[in-house]
Amino acid sequence: MQRGGVDGYKVQTPTPNNEEFYFHYTSGSQVVEERKSKKAKYEAEINDDDDEEDEQIDKGAVPASASRECVEVAPQDEFGAQDYRQSLELKQDHKSRPIWIAPNGHVFLESFSPVYRHAHDFLIAISEPVCRPIHVHEYKLTAYSLYAAVSVGLQTNDIIEYLRRLCKTTLPSGIVEFIKLCTLSYGKVKLVLKHNRYFVESQYPDVLQKLLKDHIIQLTRKRELEDGEASDELIAGQLYGKSALQLNKPVSKPGDLQAGTSAGVNGATGEANEDVPDDIFELYDKMDKEDDDEDEAQLKTVSFEVNPEEIETLQKRLCIELEHPLLAEYDFRNDTLNPDVNIDLKPSTVLRPYQEKSLRKMFGNGRARSGVIVLPCGAGKTLVGVTAACTVRKRCICLATSGVAVEQWRSQFKMWSTVDDSLICRFTSDAKDKPMGCAICISTYSMLAHSTKRSYEAENVMKWLKTQEWGLMVLDEVQTIPAKMFRRVLTTVNAHCKLGLTATLVREDDKIADLNFLIGPKLYEANWMELQNLGYIARVQCAEVWCPMTPEFYREYLSMKSQRKLLLSTMNPNKFRACQFLIRYHERRNDKIIVFSDNVFALKHYAVKLNKPYLYGPTSQGERLQILQNFQHNPKVNTIFVSKVADTSFDLPEANVLIQISAHGGSRRQEAQRLGRILRAKKGSAAEEYNAYFYSLVSQDTNEMAFSLKRQRFLVNQGYSYKVITKLEGMDQEDLFYRSKEEQVQLLQKVLAATDEDAEEERMLGEFPGKFSINRKVGSMNSLSGADDAIYMEYSGRGRSRKAEHVHPLFRKFKKP
Amino acid sequence: MASNTSSMKKIVCKDLHSYLRTLPPTVLDRLYCHPATCLAVFRDIPELSRHYVMRILYVEQAVAQAVVQHSNNKYFREQFEAAAALVELRVWYEQPLPGGMPGWLLNHVFRTNLVTALLGGGTSWIGSKDLTPDKYAKDILFLDKYALERWECVLHFMVGSNEGTDGVNKDITDVLLHSGLMRVDDGEPSITAEGFQFLLMDTSSQVWFFLLQYLDTVQSRGMDLVECLAFLFQLSFSTLGKDYCTQGMSENQLRFLQHLREFGLVYQRKRKSHRYYPTRLAVNIVSGLSKSNIDTHRPGFIVVETNYRVYAYTDSPLQVALLALFCEMLYRFPNMVAANLSRSSVREALARGITADQILHFLQSHAHPEMLKKSPVVPPTIRDQVKLWELERDRFKFNDGVMYNQFLSQADFELLRNYAKDIGVLVWEMPEKRVLIVTKSGHDDVKKFWKRQKSSSS
Repeated sequence: MQRGGVDGYKVQTPTPNNEEFYFHYTSGSQVVEERKSKKAKYEAEINDDDDEEDEQIDKGAVPASASRECVEVAPQDEFGAQDYRQSLELKQDHKSRPIWIAPNGHVFLESFSPVYRHAHDFLIAISEPVCRPIHVHEYKLTAYSLYAAVSVGLQTNDIIEYLRRLCKTTLPSGIVEFIKLCTLSYGKVKLVLKHNRYFVESQYPDVLQKLLKDHIIQLTRKRELEDGEASDELIAGQLYGKSALQLNKPVSKPGDLQAGTSAGVNGATGEANEDVPDDIFELYDKMDKEDDDEDEAQLKTVSFEVNPEEIETLQKRLCIELEHPLLAEYDFRNDTLNPDVNIDLKPSTVLRPYQEKSLRKMFGNGRARSGVIVLPCGAGKTLVGVTAACTVRKRCICLATSGVAVEQWRSQFKMWSTVDDSLICRFTSDAKDKPMGCAICISTYSMLAHSTKRSYEAENVMKWLKTQEWGLMVLDEVQTIPAKMFRRVLTTVNAHCKLGLTATLVREDDKIADLNFLIGPKLYEANWMELQNLGYIARVQCAEVWCPMTPEFYREYLSMKSQRKLLLSTMNPNKFRACQFLIRYHERRNDKIIVFSDNVFALKHYAVKLNKPYLYGPTSQGERLQILQNFQHNPKVNTIFVSKVADTSFDLPEANVLIQISAHGGSRRQEAQRLGRILRAKKGSAAEEYNAYFYSLVSQDTNEMAFSLKRQRFLVNQGYSYKVITKLEGMDQEDLFYRSKEEQVQLLQKVLAATDEDAEEERMLGEFPGKFSINRKVGSMNSLSGADDAIYMEYSGRGRSRKAEHVHPLFRKFKKP
Repeated sequence: MASNTSSMKKIVCKDLHSYLRTLPPTVLDRLYCHPATCLAVFRDIPELSRHYVMRILYVEQAVAQAVVQHSNNKYFREQFEAAAALVELRVWYEQPLPGGMPGWLLNHVFRTNLVTALLGGGTSWIGSKDLTPDKYAKDILFLDKYALERWECVLHFMVGSNEGTDGVNKDITDVLLHSGLMRVDDGEPSITAEGFQFLLMDTSSQVWFFLLQYLDTVQSRGMDLVECLAFLFQLSFSTLGKDYCTQGMSENQLRFLQHLREFGLVYQRKRKSHRYYPTRLAVNIVSGLSKSNIDTHRPGFIVVETNYRVYAYTDSPLQVALLALFCEMLYRFPNMVAANLSRSSVREALARGITADQILHFLQSHAHPEMLKKSPVVPPTIRDQVKLWELERDRFKFNDGVMYNQFLSQADFELLRNYAKDIGVLVWEMPEKRVLIVTKSGHDDVKKFWKRQKSSSS
């Protein structure tokens, strides 16, 4: 930014090789329109929450038990509530037990119970957290969560027994049935790759015997034919359960640490224990011990080998028809075919307890499990990924959502690990390092999933990628990717173990659960409030600022069609003034401010009027980095305006104030992701109650109010609370723009005139259907690349109406509380 | 919307002072015949008034006003209010001194009885005769439980649940109907908007409000108000957990006692029993009024979360019914209810005439001990939001104005409109129908102008 003032940033030079949105086409034969439409369509897949033409997953991909429901018909009381008083019997000592379980799978946990910590650890393993505010937390038992529980080693009977003891009432019989149903067949058989041979392994010989009776499985079995006759004996083996995770910790053995922490917990609650029924502790200790024992014990296993070519058939048969889904595990220690990569964590790298905990779930039994780890934004997901790569020490491929994120992954690898620069290869359209012989490849989803023609160079790299056997695949921000694209990525690149990382496992369309079967179960989910209280992430004050519409704008608003309404409510002069006021207020406090606007017209207008740099889709990679660097290091640049391209993976550790002036419908994920931009723990501000601020500006009496309510749900369920600000103190004293009626009317005219000159954005704004094939328009390069603005658009109205058709059988269950 | 809210009467629970003020002087004078009443009144008046009374308690003749009240401008207002309170309650009168200076004279009856109350002497206030120990002695725990049960019967009856409402007799129904908390629909009494507000009050306010309504009906029952009030005050000075004797009570008072028994203010084993126990409801009746209104005899049970969840640790159908007034009920466990505070559920409550403050007060006064560890007890976001939901029903701004219409010609209309516009009093115009509205303050000017115009043109 040698150009001097901030004005310099405003030059937007759309470049065709803007990697996120563009790919190299070798031939010029394709017309521009076509390219564009393909690109747009393709991006719609990546980012649209309500991705409508999303595949109907063939029912075959999911075992029938996953769509099982646990519904018990309960009578309704006179107020319309589910009445469980008849079916559940209160225990005598209910006061000292922490949970209630509703027959429909919802679990309520008292956070002030003396056994809270135990119960919480247990519940997080077996159920999905629904909401975790201060006093009473709600969880939900789902088929997936139970699947995940089994896959990390919990046993059906232990689950039921411990629930029984924790529960204040008798256990609903439906729940017991449900748990049995979901867990008995799950997790019993594993597909293990060791010594480059595939084995189906189980701790239960009878299960294997039963499976082998099936003739299809018989066919897939690979027998040793050395002595002329096939042996039907199972191969006996032992599982060395020592955790594969080794960290730079003063504690030598993970087991010690765990014992230590749990002892500490027990000690801390020791005094309160007297009124806690002994059986809760007994069982907990027992399970705890088992956990430890696992480290030492050598579990007897049996296995049989399968033909690598038949894996697909086997999986299908086992998973779907026999309902024994295979858990994929990677015995990387015994993988001799793939060369080890010389990469370790730096001695100075220390993991936080929750990062360690999540990784322990992954490497618990000495092998690497595939699965998803959920950590809040800014809590160090990248480090978890890097540590996983350093533990596996095989070739690793990382997939991120954008070019900027790729750069960030690379720098994180260099920061935390001893990896040599030459071993890291970036595969994006901007930077194509030489991939051959690299150990860590970082790329974007779109790069890999791209199905049309690529440049010669890229084609070569792809070929190479396809032929490699990757040890670990790290998938960043997995929630953003629809299943269809995923499958494409997963079939292109072969990896033994897949680790998904995300902050927000929510999608408006609930398709998130597909991940369970594409990657693996959720291994760990952190509690936002807990991390906040421990200081690992910033303490954020969320506020919703209500900006009354000016009468002129509101009159137009009422008479306009829906897509124009959005623009009018975003351009509301009172909102502008509020935004300006907040920027001034926080700049005086030396805060670093990011302003988000989904609407590009508004983004430009605000930024130009306020004389601040802005970046959005068409901004070139180089300029983006330049703006971001200035924001981080230049004391004169304290505010930047960004569009939704910065929603994810823009690591801006300095930013501590976020103002949102327009957003993408009611997307809960976007709200959480945006909050994540300012969640990175702030230094040296422990004295203040809050050290980060999140403002959402909402025009009163417009659609924005309803959307905003919907958007906040996820964060509110995580325990955040939004303060509603109806009037900003001191705003009248400030000299802000658009004070006079004349100025406001001028602005209105500008907005009304915007239709033509910004038709592109307007259209995208309002009607972003999946009909890009008929999208015929002539436009400048600028407007064409600007089409990326359509990427993340979501229309809740449409989404809602179609949701029903989309709902996968997996999601239908437990739909109703 | 606005008319909707304004038609709702917010019920006001009068305190003792404002109640006594409404009584006719003769009744007040008779009331002061009893030391207990005097002491109760004395305790209730403002502190400064109490000082005045104490100063001249032993002065038999009128005292110059200047002597009692120092002429200090700074505190003039307080002094004036303190003196006015005493006048309203007829504790003292204004009486000119021989020299013509204004003076104060204490009510003679009040003086003697207050002296008795403060210094002792006179007859014992209550249960004059010593009782032999009760075979069926009751402890405080029992009395609390009993009182609450009785009182909840009344509330149950109001919400129309049939939980133990057989104990509610005609006397109670009469009071409820009289007070407007219920009204008769299709022969069955049903709850009114005021009734909902009543339900959300805390118990001691409810009892007091109910008693005030009851006292209104006393005379129509042929009972003497003074006797009832005097007995009530006596009761409020009695000791919880002690038994008292009915001997020496008048016929009226005995009847009153039976009514109090029905409300749960006293416990009497049998109707004919000579022994009764006052319960906490009765003992707190006067003293509990001005204090913070938290039900001390029952721990709170409501947990309100920042995500609008409400968890109530209760199995009482009444409490659940009350919550259901403004919450969306989700699950009922044997000892807990999960509910949601949603915009629609709160709006429903608001439409019934319940105010946001009443909802918040209810949540706060019944907060679970865990909630009380935090301050503020109810999360601020919830507090704000409930209030905003209330405000959102009231978005109209009203400006007074005067409408001019039926202009004979467009020219007339424009003339007047332009004039109104020029002097800046035009509020609204509709040229098509020739209607315009000017502010109230501008009305005179516009009217004069119009008259001038008409006279000059004609």
